[in-house]
Amino acid sequence: MTGGFALALSVLAALGPSGSERCPDDATALAQEAETLLASGTDPAALERARRLYRRVRILCPSPDFLLRAADLACVAGDEEECGDLLSEVAEADGDLVTPADRMLLARRAESRRAWREAISHYVALGKATRDASLKAWAGDRIRRLEVDAEAQSIAAPSAAPPPPEARRALGQARRAVAAGDLASAREKLELARRLSPGYVEAALALAALETREGRVAEAVRAYREALAGDPGRFEALVGLANVLWDEPDRAAKEEALTLTDRAIAARPDATELLKVSATRWADFGDAPKALARLDAYRRRAGAAEKRATESLRETLARRVDSLLAGEPAAEEPEIPELSSPAIDEWKVAQAYFRRGDPDSLAAALDHLREAERLDPTFARAPELAGAIHERRGDLSLAQKAYERAVAADPARAGTYERLALLLARQPGKEQEADEAWASAEQAGSSEALFHLAASALRQGQRGEALALYRRYLAESPGGLHTEEVTKAVEKLETRRRALWAAGGGAAAVLLVAAAVVAWRRRTGRTFEQWIRAQPEGARDARPIVGRLRHEVVKHGGLLLADAARKLSEADPETRRRTATLLRTRLFGAPGTRGLLAESSDAFDRLEALARKDGVRLDLVHRDPLFSPIARASRILRRTQASLARIEQDGTMAGSVESLERAATLLRSTSGPRMSRLLDEASSTLVRAEDLRSILEDVGAEKASGGSPSFEWSGPDVVAVRIDRADWETIWRNLFANALEAGPEGRLGVFAELARDAVTGTPVARFVLADDVAGALTSDMIRGRAADRGWGVVADLVRRHDGVVEVVPPPAGGYRKGIRIDLPALEPEVPA
Amino acid sequence: MTRTVLVVEDGTEYVDAMRSLASRDPVELVRAADVHEARRTIADRRVDAVFLDVVFDRTPPEKLAGDLEAQIRRFGGDRSRAERHLAENQGFYVLNELAGILPATTPVVIAYDFSVEPDRLAALRRAHPNLSGLPDGTPISEVLGRLLGEVTSGDTPGAPPGPPRTSRGRWR
Repeated sequence: MTGGFALALSVLAALGPSGSERCPDDATALAQEAETLLASGTDPAALERARRLYRRVRILCPSPDFLLRAADLACVAGDEEECGDLLSEVAEADGDLVTPADRMLLARRAESRRAWREAISHYVALGKATRDASLKAWAGDRIRRLEVDAEAQSIAAPSAAPPPPEARRALGQARRAVAAGDLASAREKLELARRLSPGYVEAALALAALETREGRVAEAVRAYREALAGDPGRFEALVGLANVLWDEPDRAAKEEALTLTDRAIAARPDATELLKVSATRWADFGDAPKALARLDAYRRRAGAAEKRATESLRETLARRVDSLLAGEPAAEEPEIPELSSPAIDEWKVAQAYFRRGDPDSLAAALDHLREAERLDPTFARAPELAGAIHERRGDLSLAQKAYERAVAADPARAGTYERLALLLARQPGKEQEADEAWASAEQAGSSEALFHLAASALRQGQRGEALALYRRYLAESPGGLHTEEVTKAVEKLETRRRALWAAGGGAAAVLLVAAAVVAWRRRTGRTFEQWIRAQPEGARDARPIVGRLRHEVVKHGGLLLADAARKLSEADPETRRRTATLLRTRLFGAPGTRGLLAESSDAFDRLEALARKDGVRLDLVHRDPLFSPIARASRILRRTQASLARIEQDGTMAGSVESLERAATLLRSTSGPRMSRLLDEASSTLVRAEDLRSILEDVGAEKASGGSPSFEWSGPDVVAVRIDRADWETIWRNLFANALEAGPEGRLGVFAELARDAVTGTPVARFVLADDVAGALTSDMIRGRAADRGWGVVADLVRRHDGVVEVVPPPAGGYRKGIRIDLPALEPEVPA
Repeated sequence: MTRTVLVVEDGTEYVDAMRSLASRDPVELVRAADVHEARRTIADRRVDAVFLDVVFDRTPPEKLAGDLEAQIRRFGGDRSRAERHLAENQGFYVLNELAGILPATTPVVIAYDFSVEPDRLAALRRAHPNLSGLPDGTPISEVLGRLLGEVTSGDTPGAPPGPPRTSRGRWR
């Protein structure tokens, strides 16, 4: 600070004749008056009066000298705010007037306001102004530290908390719908996933792929941008958006595509092929030097064949310049809610250090990440970044551990699995682990994983598996990095398959493939429980199949076999003959009736087909604790056909008694109730009052009606309803939305009870939604042809889950309308 | 004295199996293919016990017990779904219709395993006190024993049902 009132007159003198030329006389006169006042004494009253005079001076003449003088007075008066503001103005107008001490003050002030760039500029000026070497060095250090902070500040906070299970389930349903070609349903499920989890990167990516596939470019671009807003380093999103934009005719889009491609290369240096793509695009764009730089980088990593293949491209690159149309400005970044975590600031600073890349910065980044992990162990980005740093430092073991911590913190993040898989794939002997990580990435929604899993299957000779995975890749990621390569691979595999089947002499190869497939299938299929727990929406279709299997095979088999074995071992040939006939009819069928074995294999086939629709290969026969006893019993029973025929013929013993007893034992070991219970548990939702209250609040916020209806719940603390959570929430969203439209300020009540079907005794969860808003409502309005969209959705979903929706008289308590929803409930668990 | 067991099923699997593998004197097995035949049988003769199959998917819809129109309304106009529901749960609908004409003391066994649904069985027993289920794996020879009150373990028809077990479990 420039202190000392003795300087005051020199200020005026400096303004002197030239100053008076620049400033009105009034200003100089006022300044003189202030200085005279100060010369007579510096008590607070005089100081305050002088400051007021200088305020008027500054209005008349904003000269840096007057500003500096006013700043001095503000500082002396202890008004740090005005002192700083005025010094800043001085520094801006004439930096030479500001002393190193003032610079220090300004820099500190900027730091306290987290204005890192401003602080840096003051420290730079301080370094230049001071002759003190140690101060210069100190300023240099300070600048380097602040640059990290400034960079960290510019890094966007990660968006979107881990998606809830319902959103992940909706994404899974969407993927299966894509695989089945039902794109409308896929879109519906993706929208649901994004609604349940705004900023859900995988859902945005899947939607982008869907839009790309349907040629809806603007929508695809928007979805990719949403994915990138959620995860700016996501490779798939970078490549996908780059590919879509590159196909656009306007130059601005192409330019952005090039930038995105370069970002993708930076994110995944192992994606060598992308360098070639980038090179050719830069060439097409007309920037030969950049194209050449990328092509050369590619060729440095490529093999001899690839070098030869790109020789002519390299030679002609510089000549290839296309003129492209100038285009529209880039679309706005969508707004995604940011993730809130106490670890974010540390993570951002670590990011900034990581970008620098030098060893000291990487070490500093790790320090910050350790702190981030300590502050919030659930913040997966911190260990994920730590993994990338360890990887860059060549410490693969620490990198693996860090990625594993990230996976534990957020098991739904596909990007972490991808990084882990790539890391493992680099290490000899860890191919199996890499495949497992890719499988987890695929489960989390990564299309990139499909490509790697297909390549792995191909390496292991599983061409059918590879072909299926490649086809899924093309369906889910039509604009992906590997599209061209995968298309060629699919063509090649299909050609090979046709040739194999066409060649009669290729039977041995077919057998070999079949043997390999059998071995693979035995090793890798899922159990019924794994499938239904992961994809509970399959339970609805599986339930009748399992019910029939229980009844026709487990129950009937149990009833017959032990007694039949006993009868066959009796001495009377006629009894044996009759029993053999009965068994043959029951096991192998008769005209007009299917046998137990046909029922069994039909149920297995139908369950496996259902799971296949979900992209899951079941192995009920070999690996499933619930179903394999049935399969083994069926196998044993099939072998009794000849001996039963002999007994029927001559009534003599033919050695099938033991087989029947073994099959009976196996069927007795099968738990039919466990199968049904599993289906019910997997497809049920626990309902609590606070869940409904939360849905109501969400709907109220979305509608922005301004109203806030009161909400009353009456019923058990928790009810287990046989419906998936996404559909359950959709039903109540629609019900509440209709209620809020009718009366935003009304009263809403939900009355829940557990009832039982009067005939079958099955448990029913009954919910009556009541409101006190006037107006008629009839069952036809809900279920009839004229049902509008909201009611139609409710009626459809309730019906789909074997429920009932109807208008009922309102409950007591001042309510005026009531809607009842009955849904199948779960039996209370029986204590062991 | 010969005792009569009425077997209500859409095929002949149970009655054939009982005759071939578990026949005994003095027991007469009478089969009814649907609820109407069952009603007629009960009206015509004394029935000592009833065995009910559950799934009747070979019975024409018009012969199924239960209010088909009400089920069609319940399933939003989906007739085939309503028919399937009635067929798949027909044993319970037959039981419901026979309740009015069958003495409450008549033992009834329904071919359904209630082992994980004790509350459901308890609820049904309020209307049919002598009802019992059939655990999976029960041999046919034991079924007749259950019907005739010779088996005393498990859900024996003759055993007093006891109070409803509504508070036995808890929601998970």
